[in-house]
Amino acid sequence: MQKLSEEQLENLAQDLDAIRNEQMADLGQRDADYIRGIIRLHRTLEFGGRAMMPLGFIPPFFLAGMTSLGIAKILENMEIGHNVMHGQYDWMNDPELNSQTYEWDTICTADSWKRTHNYEHHTYTNIIGKDRDYGYAVLRLEDETPWEPKHLLQMINFINLSIFFQWGVGVHELEFEKLRSGEVTLREKAEFLRDFARKGGRQVFKDYAFYPALTLPVAPIVIAGNFGANLIRNLWASSVIFCGHFTEGAENFSEEECENESRGHWYLRQLTGSSNFTGPNWVYTLSGHLSHQIEHHVFPDIPAYRYREISPQVQAVCEKYGLHYNADSFPRQYATVLKRVAAFSLPDRMRERLFPEFRGDGGPAESPDNTRSLVGRLRSRVSNTLSAAA
Amino acid sequence: MQESMNTDSGMNRGQDRSYRSVLAKVGPGRETWRWLGQQLFNRENPAMYFDPLLESINPLWAQRYIPARVEAIESETHDSKTLTLRPARRWGGFRAGQHLNLEVEKDGRWYSRPFSLSCAPSHWEQDGTITVTIKKVADGEITPWLLENFEPGDVIGISRAYGEDHTPEPGYPMLFITGGSGITPVLSQLEAMADRHLRNPVTLLYFVRTEADVIGGRKLQALAERLPNLDLRIVAAEQDPQNPDHLGPHHLQSVEGLTERECFLCGPPGLMKHAQNLLADAGVSDEQISSTLFAVGPGVVVTEDAGGTVHFSRSDITVESAGDRRLLEEAEAAGLNPRYGCRMGICHQCACRKTSGIVINQQTGQPSGHGEETIQLCINVPQGAVELEL
Repeated sequence: MQKLSEEQLENLAQDLDAIRNEQMADLGQRDADYIRGIIRLHRTLEFGGRAMMPLGFIPPFFLAGMTSLGIAKILENMEIGHNVMHGQYDWMNDPELNSQTYEWDTICTADSWKRTHNYEHHTYTNIIGKDRDYGYAVLRLEDETPWEPKHLLQMINFINLSIFFQWGVGVHELEFEKLRSGEVTLREKAEFLRDFARKGGRQVFKDYAFYPALTLPVAPIVIAGNFGANLIRNLWASSVIFCGHFTEGAENFSEEECENESRGHWYLRQLTGSSNFTGPNWVYTLSGHLSHQIEHHVFPDIPAYRYREISPQVQAVCEKYGLHYNADSFPRQYATVLKRVAAFSLPDRMRERLFPEFRGDGGPAESPDNTRSLVGRLRSRVSNTLSAAA
Repeated sequence: MQESMNTDSGMNRGQDRSYRSVLAKVGPGRETWRWLGQQLFNRENPAMYFDPLLESINPLWAQRYIPARVEAIESETHDSKTLTLRPARRWGGFRAGQHLNLEVEKDGRWYSRPFSLSCAPSHWEQDGTITVTIKKVADGEITPWLLENFEPGDVIGISRAYGEDHTPEPGYPMLFITGGSGITPVLSQLEAMADRHLRNPVTLLYFVRTEADVIGGRKLQALAERLPNLDLRIVAAEQDPQNPDHLGPHHLQSVEGLTERECFLCGPPGLMKHAQNLLADAGVSDEQISSTLFAVGPGVVVTEDAGGTVHFSRSDITVESAGDRRLLEEAEAAGLNPRYGCRMGICHQCACRKTSGIVINQQTGQPSGHGEETIQLCINVPQGAVELEL
């Protein structure tokens, strides 16, 4: 982990708080107009897509309908739902855009999401053992988790997770791995399972029963189109999210490193544990501005479209403290995610030979001022020894 | 004595009722719509899902509040105006002496502010219009803006009418003691009396600073002609600064048969308290007095220091905060179990509805507004009396 002194951490927190306060003081009509514009676009695309779908026996209509509905779901999940549930628009005092009451168009219930994502993931970002989003308990992406032969096939998990992403997110809070180890019981998860079933049932009913039934003669086409739309959303959402923390330079942390951490240390972890991708503005919008994952993690409740505007300020702060600001094009970042999944599917010694960039804690390998922490070095040495012994 | 105060959240109530009435008019039952709304749009009121599109086509089609077209604006005094509004037909009407909330968006934020209706229900019943008289609250956030920024033709949001029904009954003699903008619900009651051709003896003691501060002067003139038994006494208390004429026993002594009268008080808190004491001294029983507190507008009491009385409305617990603990800690110390996550302002798990009062954000040092809004319990301390939905 890139390290800063206590004093530097305090200054870092002050610098970032200053950016945050400036943005918060500036919230106003512009933000309201922006999110309402996105909502109008979402409604138009959704109704447009659903209206075109029954004409899907004509191929261009099928494609247009499916794409339109797919993009609508992407916008609703990423630019509206995710951001509203972060409380980015609570200040508007609009009951339709309130973090406590908003419910989104995906399997996962808003309440479950806010517990696992807003609280667990955003508070304990990339801390192995505490942030279950790091690998979603089905991927091994770091060497603190001991290698097992089953990891050889984790690329299959990765592909499945990408395809069925909304289901993966939906059952995330079930903590399947803890159920299996007996750490939690099914009884403790009864309430979660009930909510999951109700919300999942709704989502399935809507796309695979209600709308197809409305257009009965062409129901199979509508079912196929809706499935395609969900698939488009799943693939894009998962890819965007994987690029946020699993890229080559994004760091992960051990629990010991983060015990009793200061606000400055939390900021440091968000800066070094997240990664951005670059592209045209429409890509940013479609990613819910998670293209700017670094800014999002530092300021999770600032309206997301502002991230691209404050990105230069955050970069300047990183530069000031010699921290790596991890940003690259989407294809390049996604390639390093695939590489990470592949690298950590291998036994440690083989990984270190084949993927020398994923040695140790996965900190920025080619960063010139890379000051690899003692803990990180020790950890990789221990794991080397262990794998050598194996 | 009976008091009607605007303690419940007019905004939510208004919306709740409005969608019910909308649904009641549409074919299938309310439950069916609610169920379908949940299935298809993840919200109980399916109509609201279409709002962003409906509103942009015609603002009068909005469902999340009741839209009203501003028909005319008349100046009453240098700092007050009467707005004639034409609400959408689904608005439910009102009773004399009731209030409504104006719901407006200013700089992207929604505000809901209570005002008294200043006309008789016959206006709504006969030509579909209502009047609301607004007096500028010095240093207020909304009223100065409201008075400056609305023009005939604009659309404004209103809630359902609420508050005690003060429809005048025939028979008993009445005494109104009002001050400043406290005259507005009385205008409604007197006009309702005239509409019903009631002949009760009525004395109106109306205190204003100077003659230029008389609100509803034209209406009072007209009423004096329609109500032969109206004894109209406008007291310009500070017209002659050397010789001020504030409410005193002499004003009441000249009221014929005082102890027989039904008394209605509306005005600044100081005047009302004083009037109550004087009436009690004169032998008027408590049951004969009713009052409305809020027509003077929400009193903003900004104290320099943090701390104050915190009322958790759902559990009906009141605690005294010294201002040295965050609201989350206050709630926990009071034995409540609010939901929380990071306890450092990141995750919004503890976001809670504040119905009134001012809180200070400890991260920014900024005080909030005094209206209803969502706040994070873990980073706010109260400044004066605060009410939370917890």
